[in-house]
Amino acid sequence: MNVRGAIAGVLAVTALAIPANASAYRTWFEFTRQSNISSPLTIATDYGGGYISTQTWRAGSGTSTDACWVSHGWLPTGWYDLWGHWDYYDGTIKGRVFYLSNKPCWNGTWRSALFIHSEETAAQGQYCPTAYDDPYCWEGAGDYYSNGCIKVSRAGNPSDLRLVHGGWHSRSGDYRHGSFGIGNFLYVRDY
Amino acid sequence: MKRVFGARGAAAAVVVVAGGAAAIVGVGVFGAHGAAPRTGPLSVHAGLKKPPGAVVRGTTLVDEKGARSELGASVSGSMMGPLAPVAVRSTDGKLIAYNTWQELRPVDADKSFSAQGIEKGAALGVPSLRIHDDQGQDFLLARGAYSAAWRHDGAIAFVQGVDPVFRASAAYDGQVVVRRGVHGRDVTWMSARAHYVVYAWAGDRLLFYRIGLGEKTELLVADAPGKIRSLAEGTAIAVSPDAARVAILSEDATSVRVLDIASGREQSWIDVTIATPALRWVAYSGSWVGDHIVAPASAGLAVFQVGPGSLTLEQVLSLDQAQFPPGVQEPRFVDNAGNEIAASADVPPANGNNGVSFLLQCDRVVRTCERTDAAPAKEWLRQVDDTATEEGGQW
Repeated sequence: MNVRGAIAGVLAVTALAIPANASAYRTWFEFTRQSNISSPLTIATDYGGGYISTQTWRAGSGTSTDACWVSHGWLPTGWYDLWGHWDYYDGTIKGRVFYLSNKPCWNGTWRSALFIHSEETAAQGQYCPTAYDDPYCWEGAGDYYSNGCIKVSRAGNPSDLRLVHGGWHSRSGDYRHGSFGIGNFLYVRDY
Repeated sequence: MKRVFGARGAAAAVVVVAGGAAAIVGVGVFGAHGAAPRTGPLSVHAGLKKPPGAVVRGTTLVDEKGARSELGASVSGSMMGPLAPVAVRSTDGKLIAYNTWQELRPVDADKSFSAQGIEKGAALGVPSLRIHDDQGQDFLLARGAYSAAWRHDGAIAFVQGVDPVFRASAAYDGQVVVRRGVHGRDVTWMSARAHYVVYAWAGDRLLFYRIGLGEKTELLVADAPGKIRSLAEGTAIAVSPDAARVAILSEDATSVRVLDIASGREQSWIDVTIATPALRWVAYSGSWVGDHIVAPASAGLAVFQVGPGSLTLEQVLSLDQAQFPPGVQEPRFVDNAGNEIAASADVPPANGNNGVSFLLQCDRVVRTCERTDAAPAKEWLRQVDDTATEEGGQW
């Protein structure tokens, strides 16, 4: 095993050793479908005794309001599990991402491979080479449109994406990354 | 998403102006009513008893003459939604291939998998393709398969799942195969395992999607088994009647390009957000007859005119958003003149009511539509796609 492999192995063991919910406060997200480019995404934490703390950001999903329209409509209502979280994801979607479980819409069509994410590079930067819409560059409100994923803004400092990401870790006490599962991570409802 | 008038934007504006001028001097298409189609609202009325062409609903097939027959299983587009037709007729008109879904365990869409005790990898269902022939025989074409397209010679392309069972896990990976006749053997055209949807044949070339993370779509073309190339990111609106071109919708659903399929070369382009009237988006799975293309649009329906090197927005037909909130899907020209359009319209659940589907038949010259009675959305009331018998699938 080379040095990089050894370090990776140690990191993997360390990651597994971190408690899943160090602070043990149940934390989840709620997305209330209002419009494709302006719908509230709220993080909620149940601190016990009936006290639930929330914080809300603007978010978007889909291009149309038909959740059965694959690759076009916003995501279906209901509870979603989390299937993974990455800080430096490097697929067609990049950077800080939350991977949601699949969900059937109201006519039975399966929506799949949907995320909460923004438009940034795998290194969490911005890449804006053209005057048009660049996929890893947050240009403005039009970027809230998606094929179905929930998108938050990458503009400003701190960006909404940073607050969503940091809020998840600090409130839940869950610092895991990679592929893992959390039940009832996101609830999608109609306004 | 920047709205910048670049060279393409300026060119599109010129094309739009030119298109408008052409309509004014009367060069546009005239309907049987003697009037030019104009942009405006569609008036929708109940009363469509017999939609044009054959339709499917649940386990029923109603042919173009109105005769009913029983399907071997209930139709379902659960694996692809409107990316591909639920039911498609063969070029010779004798066979209909249709998509089905066998539920292995019920899933409550309101609850998460974990709350239902569904573990990652649990079996949820099996998609299958079945064939219904004109003698009433009905048989399984392939288990663990979906999205079919007929070639002119009777070969059928579809996605064959690597594991026939759809599971509570990441993607449903498959391969794209072509079967030479319904009883022939499968030849793998795309062997790399991924999430695919077969769209249509364009002559001997097969168009299909690769669906990526975030349901990002890429349109691929197979010139032959294993000879695969990427045509465009985005989705397809329609293949031209001569099977040489395809109208492509951009990933952000705001621009349409006409591409030469053989070379991939762009022939024309339009940004609908700066067209007249401007549209917020258009959507995939439309129809192309003569030099006209119809597509779903944010307002309802968009009709484009294809010229040599130009693409103009000829007409926008708006639907009452209160009646049909998400608009219509899979519009098809149902006459050779391109004046009659049939489409499905799904209405999502609201106020405790379940989602329902209608079929609409619209005259785009007088801007009226008749609709069928509502059917439960889970019964997948849809037109049988007969494109292979009349459009891009034919030589």
